[in-house]
Amino acid sequence: MMCDECGIRPAQFHLTTISGEEKTERNLCPVCMAKYQKQIPGLDFTNLAGLISGFLESAAAARNGEEQADENAGITCPNCGTTYAMFQKSGMLGCAQCYQAFRKPLEGLLMRVHGNTQHAGRIPGGVKSDVSIRMNIDRLRQDLVKAIAAEEYEEAARLRDQIRALKQQLEPSDKAEDAQSGAGEGEQDNG
Amino acid sequence: MADFVQAPEQDVVISSRVRLARNYQDLPFSPKLTREAAEEVISRAHEAMKNSPEGGAFSLLRVNDLGDDERRRLVEHHLISYDLLKYPQRSAALISSGETVSVMLNEEDHLRIQGLLPGMQLERSAELAFNADDALGAQNVYAFDPQWGYLTSCPTNVGTGMRASAMLHLPAITQNGQIGAIMQAVAKLGLTVRGLYGEGSEAQGDLYQLSNQVTLGRSEEDVIRSLQAATEQIVGHERAMRERAEKKDMYALQDKLLRSWGEAVNARLMSAKEFMRRYSDIRYAASMGYLHAPLRALDCLMMDLQPGSLAVQAGKLIGEREGEILRAKLLREQLLKLVAD
Repeated sequence: MMCDECGIRPAQFHLTTISGEEKTERNLCPVCMAKYQKQIPGLDFTNLAGLISGFLESAAAARNGEEQADENAGITCPNCGTTYAMFQKSGMLGCAQCYQAFRKPLEGLLMRVHGNTQHAGRIPGGVKSDVSIRMNIDRLRQDLVKAIAAEEYEEAARLRDQIRALKQQLEPSDKAEDAQSGAGEGEQDNG
Repeated sequence: MADFVQAPEQDVVISSRVRLARNYQDLPFSPKLTREAAEEVISRAHEAMKNSPEGGAFSLLRVNDLGDDERRRLVEHHLISYDLLKYPQRSAALISSGETVSVMLNEEDHLRIQGLLPGMQLERSAELAFNADDALGAQNVYAFDPQWGYLTSCPTNVGTGMRASAMLHLPAITQNGQIGAIMQAVAKLGLTVRGLYGEGSEAQGDLYQLSNQVTLGRSEEDVIRSLQAATEQIVGHERAMRERAEKKDMYALQDKLLRSWGEAVNARLMSAKEFMRRYSDIRYAASMGYLHAPLRALDCLMMDLQPGSLAVQAGKLIGEREGEILRAKLLREQLLKLVAD
């Protein structure tokens, strides 16, 4: 689709202006969009990130009040120097470590955007990770509790063995940690 | 009707696409990306792809080396995005010979891996993307968090980093003014419908894109399954609306659609906007069996006659009027060839 204004460059923006009862819609290229931006006060987003950051800012302001937004704004990523305020403006993070640095405010944001804060998908081959195993164990544990409550002991024994097998796949350090926390309930299940 | 359908559900579904966002753990993300880091991204991806079994099929295109027309052709064929063109100095793409897999390098994320196939082939498209993902991730560590999944430069993509989408041709639903209702219905499933070109009220050529919005908390399979189910329902509804229009007044429908054929094969000037209207009518007519033209061929023609692709065919930069003349000529020739075959 070409720009309605110049007709030579491809349109990347859809601009709707409402003046009185008159509504005009135009598809514009960045160059012609920039011209309109100068004419119309307050219209100063340059990309989608601008829209997202607008959402972030208004959400942060609405939820936390000015104080808390300012409090987060000062957090700085030690690796790349991105501040939370910069992220709020651009909607973009500077590096992988930003996710650690801004973990707390991002948690709330991700919950609002996705309605969830726990990844449930693929895991890269290059990273040693056991999210899916842990999630399976969690699920099996829930099933185990249900099976015991329903007095289905054969099913419970089967689930217990599955959990043990999965635990063995985890790293030794994790296994020890899990054995500690899980040992007590495991014994009781057997009984 | 079955004679003309070359890919699954192609009377309504033009193509299926799955795109994955990935970043390298140790390199700065897009906003902080240096020239050196950008080069590193390109060389890592290029090397990894070369070393994979299908690596031979991929070629590396640096945006800076491409002319304007070729850039636009790639955008119009959905192999790269406009955003990739923002930083031509640093951006590149790996594109498979069949143009079914493409990897954008240094767009919003280090890697944007895409599988694209005609018709309703979401699962197969996902497979293509995941194979490329495995190849590219084999020797490198992706930015990944056990709780938040794949880390992306914009947190709206975090988790699976996956956008799956189906490109749909919905002339009958549009005619009935039901697009709004569909948008509301799919929103409840975490999906979204937008016009293929931008998010404006008018979708050119009655083309829409149905895609997932949520990337965190649902598995790739789960998302693709709901997208597939929603697409199937929309396909069913579009077909029912087409049948209803035919039942209501077949002559009126045929007259409206086939007049566009008449215009298309006789026009001597054809603007891009008018072309999209004619294309929609002709595609609709072909899907109803009113004229014998393969749908896949019409879709390729649609992409080839977009402004950038047109200029690539012309072999030079062309003005608006020259473009309209050339589009009318190529359209006429191609359409007549299609029905002659």
